[in-house]
Amino acid sequence: MQLIRVEDLSFSYDGRVRVLEEVSFGVDKGDFVGVIGPNGAGKTTLFKILLGFLRPSRGKVFLFGEDIRNFRDWSRIGYVPQRLSVEQSFPATVEELLSLVAPKERVRELADFLHMNSFIGRQFQKLSGGQQQLVLLGMALASGPELLLLDEPTAGLDVHAQMHILEILKDLSLNEGKTIMMISHDIGTVLKNVDKVLCLNRKVLYYGEPDGAVEVIEEMFGLRRGAGDGTP
Amino acid sequence: MELLNYDFVQRGIITGLLVAVSCSIAGVFLILRRMAFLGAGLSHAAFGGIALGTLLRVEPFIFTALFTVLVGNLVQAISSRRRIPGDAAIALVFSGGVALAVLILGLVKGFGEYVFGYLFGNILMVTKEEFFFTILSSVVVVSFFALFYRKLVLLSFSEEVAKLKGVNITLMNHLLISVSSLVIVLSIKVVGIILASSMVVIPALTALLLGRSFMSTVLISVVVAVSSVVVGIGVAFYYDLPPSGSIVGAMILLFSGAFLKKVLKN
Repeated sequence: MQLIRVEDLSFSYDGRVRVLEEVSFGVDKGDFVGVIGPNGAGKTTLFKILLGFLRPSRGKVFLFGEDIRNFRDWSRIGYVPQRLSVEQSFPATVEELLSLVAPKERVRELADFLHMNSFIGRQFQKLSGGQQQLVLLGMALASGPELLLLDEPTAGLDVHAQMHILEILKDLSLNEGKTIMMISHDIGTVLKNVDKVLCLNRKVLYYGEPDGAVEVIEEMFGLRRGAGDGTP
Repeated sequence: MELLNYDFVQRGIITGLLVAVSCSIAGVFLILRRMAFLGAGLSHAAFGGIALGTLLRVEPFIFTALFTVLVGNLVQAISSRRRIPGDAAIALVFSGGVALAVLILGLVKGFGEYVFGYLFGNILMVTKEEFFFTILSSVVVVSFFALFYRKLVLLSFSEEVAKLKGVNITLMNHLLISVSSLVIVLSIKVVGIILASSMVVIPALTALLLGRSFMSTVLISVVVAVSSVVVGIGVAFYYDLPPSGSIVGAMILLFSGAFLKKVLKN
């Protein structure tokens, strides 16, 4: 079963410049898909469309087989945003935040699973970047979603925190059968860990096994002599 | 202490305490939603409502509450569609409200004498109608925050996350603005139009410096507001001063203490 199906999707913020152009792909149940593309390639815009925050200018999007225009069961989708512009003085603790979206028992389970027990009583804004990402992942997992959309979940984290989050994602994919779609600029990590790669630069340049993506990525980022003009 | 036996004094104190509780809870959410300036904007818009109510010869307090809730929702509607920035929309109703009041001031004879009480507040001049309206409104405001607490905290954290967790963002924003408009109108009676936003902003700001969790922040905000009202009224009686100034003065003192504590700790 395809959890996501995108058909001929185009999108423009101002009605003139297209951010996404005739994008089509499908994500099967259990897939771990890495989304790679230069800045401004439309990756975050694609996620915002998949989450219903933006409406496509053209084309169709289906979630769990249902047209996104009629889709209401958002608890089946977990989302970790790229950057949260939370007010600096936001006072809630990790436990309070998790309790907003999950019952007490589930909060305990999430804290154990994501190794958050050591900082569950601390305020969110006083945590390190890696700890904050874990909390966001915990909130995304609270309702037991089948599909996870992660927008650069390891950006700006140190190597240890990056590895910790990737281990958790691999566990979710392999042992819990979650379907994951993850935007990342860390090409090496993506190629090593995912089942499929979606190379996006307004259009889909490649969608398939990681092995076949290398040449396209090199071209997309201008890493091959005389090729491409994308930003690394 | 003999003063406490008078009906109008009791009404004033209870009104002050109820408004303190309502404003201090609303303030935490408004500051975290980066809407602190809303208090100043809507209290000045309310000035236009008071003048219009007087011109139309209707009960000004209730009319102003409805007028301000309407204006608040207008600000929310035009700023949420990104037609104009939120702070600019607030500035617009701020000047629009004052302009309306000034125009009516020129048209209605005798309105000038009556304006002073609204500009600086007079907690000891609360009528029975205003008193019952304050009780009813405070029950509505506190119930709203108790009922939608989780959704409102989630909304203050991230609109995107809140939407995916089933929060109706548009409805919740409009409800929050309606309730906030109501508390701002209530605070006019206690401290007046000019100082109304201080009832909403200062206790919450103090609590955000001291709170170690969301719930404790809300509770500290209520304690700061209630104690400022008690101390402010006491000082005003003892030294024969205007209560509005002494209430806000007490709030400023508590904020300064909290700020100093934070600076010394860091």
